[in-house]
Formats: sequence, structure tokens, C-alpha cells
Amino acid sequence: MRRIAAILLLVIVAVGISRSLVKIPFGAPKKKVATHYINEGVKETGSANIVTSVVVNYRGFDTLGEVTVLFIAAVGLGAVLTRSGGKETRPIEPASLILSTGCKVLFPLILVFGSYIFIHGHLTPGGGFQGGAIIASGFLLIYLGCRAGRISPEASKVAESSGGLVFILIGLLGLLFGGHFLSNFLPKGTVNTLFSAGIIPIIYIAIGFKVGSELAGIIDNLIEES
Amino acid sequence: MVSPVLLIAVPLGLAFAIPLFTLFWKGSAKYIPPVALGFNLIVSLLLLPRALENPVIVTIGGWGPSISINLVAGPVGVLFSVIIALVGLLVSVYALDYIKEGATEKYHTLYLLLLTGATGVVLTGDIFNLFVFFEILCISSYALVAYHRDKAGIESAVKYLIQGAVGSSLLLIGIGLLYGQFGTLNMADIARNIKEVGSISVFVPMVLIITGLGVEAAIFPLNAWLPDAHSSAPSSVSAILSGIAIEVGLYAVVRVIFTIFGAQSILLFLALLGILTLLVGEMCAFSQNNIKRMLAYSSIGQIGLILFALAIATSYGVTGGLFGVLSHSLSKALLFLTVGYMVYGAGSMEISALEGMGKKMPLTCLAFTIGAFSLVGLPPFIGFPCKFLIVRAALATQQIGFFVLIGLALLGTVIEGAYFFRIVQVLYFKGEKSNQPRAEAPVAALIPMFIFVALIVIVGVYPKPVTDVLSSAASELLSRTEYIKTVLGGIL
Amino acid sequence: MSFLANYIYYTGAFGLILIGLYIILVKHNLIKVIIGLGVLDTGVNLFLISVGYITKGTAPIFSKPDIDPERMIDPVPQALVLTAIVIGVAVLALALSLAIRLYQHYGTLNLRKIREQKW
Repeated sequence: MRRIAAILLLVIVAVGISRSLVKIPFGAPKKKVATHYINEGVKETGSANIVTSVVVNYRGFDTLGEVTVLFIAAVGLGAVLTRSGGKETRPIEPASLILSTGCKVLFPLILVFGSYIFIHGHLTPGGGFQGGAIIASGFLLIYLGCRAGRISPEASKVAESSGGLVFILIGLLGLLFGGHFLSNFLPKGTVNTLFSAGIIPIIYIAIGFKVGSELAGIIDNLIEES
Repeated sequence: MVSPVLLIAVPLGLAFAIPLFTLFWKGSAKYIPPVALGFNLIVSLLLLPRALENPVIVTIGGWGPSISINLVAGPVGVLFSVIIALVGLLVSVYALDYIKEGATEKYHTLYLLLLTGATGVVLTGDIFNLFVFFEILCISSYALVAYHRDKAGIESAVKYLIQGAVGSSLLLIGIGLLYGQFGTLNMADIARNIKEVGSISVFVPMVLIITGLGVEAAIFPLNAWLPDAHSSAPSSVSAILSGIAIEVGLYAVVRVIFTIFGAQSILLFLALLGILTLLVGEMCAFSQNNIKRMLAYSSIGQIGLILFALAIATSYGVTGGLFGVLSHSLSKALLFLTVGYMVYGAGSMEISALEGMGKKMPLTCLAFTIGAFSLVGLPPFIGFPCKFLIVRAALATQQIGFFVLIGLALLGTVIEGAYFFRIVQVLYFKGEKSNQPRAEAPVAALIPMFIFVALIVIVGVYPKPVTDVLSSAASELLSRTEYIKTVLGGIL
Repeated sequence: MSFLANYIYYTGAFGLILIGLYIILVKHNLIKVIIGLGVLDTGVNLFLISVGYITKGTAPIFSKPDIDPERMIDPVPQALVLTAIVIGVAVLALALSLAIRLYQHYGTLNLRKIREQKW
């Protein structure tokens, strides 16, 4: 009975949506806002990667909201999974020799790769979120490989908070110097070099630190619990 | 020169800094939300005179209106942020003593972020930004409902989360369909391109967006999560959920319908839905034995009444609806705050356990009684001019359909009066267990309660200054072309 | 057939959305419902990305200064999907932590048996 009702509802939704898709042909040419971003984007923001300039500069407020959502998820997960008793210690079986050595070798390489991705966000595909996720996967590898290691909660809190605060401070400095929140007040430099695009690399570095430590904190909370 | 961006940026910055503060001074987390919300209240009150003449439009990043995101701080937006900051400030003072166990600094972080998300929803002028701030609001409320980590809390939070997440996905599909057709995400720009709602390619995104936002706005039949969530959350969280979160959801629905789509044809359907929500809420509340569940169903009922008033879509109607938002926020927050300590003193949430509370906690029960009478609509409290305005708006439309609906609304009010009087009777006139030691609520809780009482009485006796602000807010919501001209013509 | 070639991405995205909605509406195990939520999120993100495609377009990165801007695809849906993916991850993380606690309290993840709150 429930299945039949669900299928009926889904058929109605599918018919409705497909009839309204007629107006959005696949592969249609761009409309005005997108043409402005692509034609003027490099001149106005100085970044070669137009997606980065949209994410950080033109629609930077959405990125601020997104950073906040991830923060809420990490804090909420910590609040739901707090243990009111003490920590119980279970005997941890050590991983095999190949696994633990491999992890110790790979971990710094993964950190370097993740940092490369978020530092070069304005030149190549990538950015703060992608780099932060890669860094967190490096920490996951440490949890799986060298099982006794844990990240220190204080360091993780400091990284998280300072990442978010740097983002908001840059926005407020933009309000002070440029008249608008998040305006690009640093010099734009020459395109396609590392030190270009004003505030964009700084924001992406802050986001990279924040996302990396947050996701590592989420993994730490979940492993503590199991 | 205060900018509306400070209303969002400063609380966000303070919320990000809470973990740093707790590293140095333990226990400082509970003082930060009152500071942040006090700042918000002062900035919103400073913005209010300017916003009443001309909406203050601020772009983030400094490019043109559609190229970057803009915040539109008009009368409606600043009015809502005043309400959010005021109610949030008073409830955060209450929570100084009420929240004692669990990870308290995480509670205060989530609380401040919920209110920041709500402020962002009412101030933004861009539909994807609305989605992002709406998600901030929803996800913090999922985490706060589960704060006590007991059986009821976790179960309610899971059901709320699943329904809310499906709603947000539908909202995102609607936004995607709108972007695909019009190529822009700015509300005024989309509104300029929509001439009529009849064509299916505009009707389907509208239905999807209203369904997605309607889950949070608690419109029937999307409100199955509300009784569980509002009754199992800690009382300060229930006060914020009932007093702010569902009203902000309703604001988002109304903004989409009036400003973006300009849909006149579905207003009658919305009025019917509003009255249906009202009747279902009040009738279910009447048969409850758990006091917080009863208050949650009463919230559903009041939201139905406010939706009906807003769907009348005349100046009187929208003013009455906005007045209803103010009245419900103040009264329902007061009710949940008092119930928090009453339940704590009685040890259980059943109404029969509250017998004789009137002698044990006289001040708290007095505040509860005033809140209850205000919600029912008795003079001289704030509920009376609110209901009077709504009835007058319905009668002024001269349509027989609205006469029938307002009759049903008055029936709902009668049922509401019945169950609130029953509780007042239990509090004061039952229970012969005299010689109960007086165990009043602490001072940090009594101060916010009595500030709410004072506001309820003052605005109830002199509603004129408030109704003036509300009617200019109503005209901003109703006049679509004015909005488009102000946003797109003003900052080019 | 050319209809299908043009609309294959939309069909795939909406297929995923409908499958995700079906799982959420019909299944009883909480973990399956959470998986359905993930499938729904993926479908919505795929739909958003495919709105931005230009026929025979390329990525909007000016890695060499003489790339023709007319052939670049729309960058805005990519920014929207970045945000939407992160929001989806946040909701899933919170849902899974609630599922852990729910299992500790009730001993089962069957949503039909977890009905303490009645009328």
C-alpha cells in the first residue's frame, strides 16, 4: 500500500519536472550573468580560474555560509556523540608492518598534495574545500594505519577557529578599506602567478585549514565512539 | 555608518571564536550569545528608521546587483531581525542558568549560529543565499533538538532531519530549474522575468520551492515533525524553534510567493491550507496531556492563522499577519520559558503533575498565565489587537469565502481558550498539597520572563507605533514592482 | 534516439532523484534511508551541473592567455554544486551520528519499531 502511494507520488513529480525541463535545453548558450563572469572575471578579480573567482569573490557570501554549515555539522556531531562517562580503553591491535610503514611514508606526501591544491586554487582546478578533504583523508589513513595516534583536540580547535576568524576578518577589512564586505582590496598582481588575485589565495588557505581540521575532527569523534 | 552586513558578520565571527575563548577561559561560552545578540539588537534598532524610508541595499563585494549577492534591509527584514535579536537575547539570558549538563559550549555555539542563519534568511535578496542561510538554520536546529541525547530527543531529531533534508533537496531542484530558465539568481532579476505563473515551467519550480520551505514553516501536511521536535528539545530551544524558526520559514514562503512569483492565483488555496492547519493544530492540542506537546500543537495552530492572514493579501491582511508573527514570538517564547522551570519543578511533563504549581512558583505561573491569555487574544495583551486586525482584514474583503474561513478561525480560537483555561485551572485551583516549599525559578530566568510580560502588556495597550512600522513592512511585501525598481534601479 | 542523446544527463539525474525519494519513502531501516538521502543529494547535484553545460565547451580556466572565452561553460552551477555537496556532507554526518545514538538507545534501527512518541 505504501509502495503504491509512493510510486504514484513519484510519477506525478517526474511528469511535472520533465514537462518543465523543455525550457532548459541541454547545451544552451550562456545567459548574461555567466557571460559577464567569463569575460570580465580575470580583469576584475585577477584569478585565472573563473570558478574560484565566482566561489570566493562574486558569491563569497555563499562560501561563508557553507563554511558555517560544515562548522555546525562538526559541532553538532561532537555534541551528540559526547560521552558523559569516562573514556573506556580497549586493547588496540597494531596494524601489520607494511600498513604502518606505508602510512607513515604516505602521510606527509598527502599533506603536501592537499596543501598544493588549496594554495593553487586560483590557478588550477581545486581550492580550499577539495584540499581540506584531501588533508582529512591523510588523517584517516593515520587512524587506520598507526592505530594509536590521535590528533590533539586543542590544535584542532585552534586551527578551526582561526580559519573561520581569518575569513570574517578579511571580509570586515574589505568593508573598512573597500567600502563593501569582502571586496578585493589587495593588489591583483599579474594573472597566472602564485601571488595574484588579491584576497582569494588567503581565503582559500584559511578555508583549507578549517575544512581539513574539521573533517579530521569528525573522523576522530566517530572513531572514538566505535 | 552601520551596514546590515554587520548583523550577520559579527555574530558569525563571535561564534567561530567560541572554541578559542573556551580554551583560555572555561565557562565563558555562555556569555558570548547575549553579547552578540545585544549588538544585533542595537544595530537593527539603529537601522530601523533608515529602512522605513528606503530599503537599505548592500552588495557583498561591490559589483552590480545581479553580479554579486545583495542584502535588502527593508522594513520587513529589519523588523524581523529586531524580533530575532530581541527574543534570542532574552532566551540566551534564560539559558545562562538553564543549560547545565552536556557539552555546554557546543550548545551556545549552535544557538548563536541558528539565530545568525535566521537573520541571514530575512535579510538576503538572492535565492541561493536564502537556501544557504536556511540550511544553517535547519541544521543547527536538528543538532539542538538532539541536545539532551535521551530517547525522545534523538528519535524526534532523526525524523525532523529526514523530512527537513528531503525538503531542502526539493528546494534546490526548484532553484536549479529557475536558474536554468532565467540565468540569474537574484530575486529581483527573476521577478522581472516572470510575467505570469500559469505556464508549467514556472509553476513546477514554485511548487517545489514552496514545499521545500514549507517543511520548516510547518504548513499542513508537512508538519508531522513539529510536535515531536518541539516537545523533546530543551525548553530554551523549543522557545526559539516555536518563536523564531517557523516564523522565519513562513517569511521565506511568503517572500517567494509575493515577490518572486507574484502568484495571485494560489492565494485562496493557501488561505484554505492556513485554516486547515489552524483547525488541525487546535483540535490536536485540546486532547493532549503533555504540556510541551500541547504548546507545540498550539504553535501549528497559530502558524495556520498567520498564513491565512498573509494569504488575504490586502494591506490589512498582511499587517495582521506580521502582527501575528510578533505576538506569537513573544507569547510562545514566554510560555516555553515558564514551562521549562515548571516541568523541572514538577519532575514530569504531564499536566496532572502541575497541580498546585501556582502556590509553589507564583511568579513563574503568573508569567505563564499572562502568556496564555495573550495567545488566546484577551485584552489588554498583545494577542488582542493582533486577532482584531486579522478579523477586520477578513471582513473587509467582502467575499463570502473569507467570511466562512474567519468563522472557522474564531472557532479555533474558542478551542484554544478552552485548553489554556484548563491549564490555568490546574495550576491555581487544584491540588490540596499545601505546605509545598516555595521553589521559584532563579533570577536569571525571571528577568527575561518579566521583560517578555512587560513587552506583551505595553504593545497590547499602545499598539499604534508598532502597527505603523508593520503597515510599511506590509506594503513592501505586497508591492512587487517597487521591490524590483528599488533593487535593480538603485545601485546600478 | 537523438532525444536520448541530448537528454541523457537529465534522465540520469532525475532517475537518481526518483530512486532516492523512493528509498526514503518506502524503506524501514534507518541506514537505508540515510543512503537514500545520499543518492537524492547526488542526483540533485548532477542535475545542477548539467544545467550549466554548453555544447562542446571547455573548463573556465584561463591557463593560457589566448583561450577563447566563448567556448567556456557556465561557472555558476559549479559554484552552486560546491556549496550543495558540502551541505549534503554535513547533513549526512549529523544523520549518522544520530543513528549511532539511536542504536545505543533502542537496540534496533527499524523505523517501524521506534515509535515511542504517539499522539
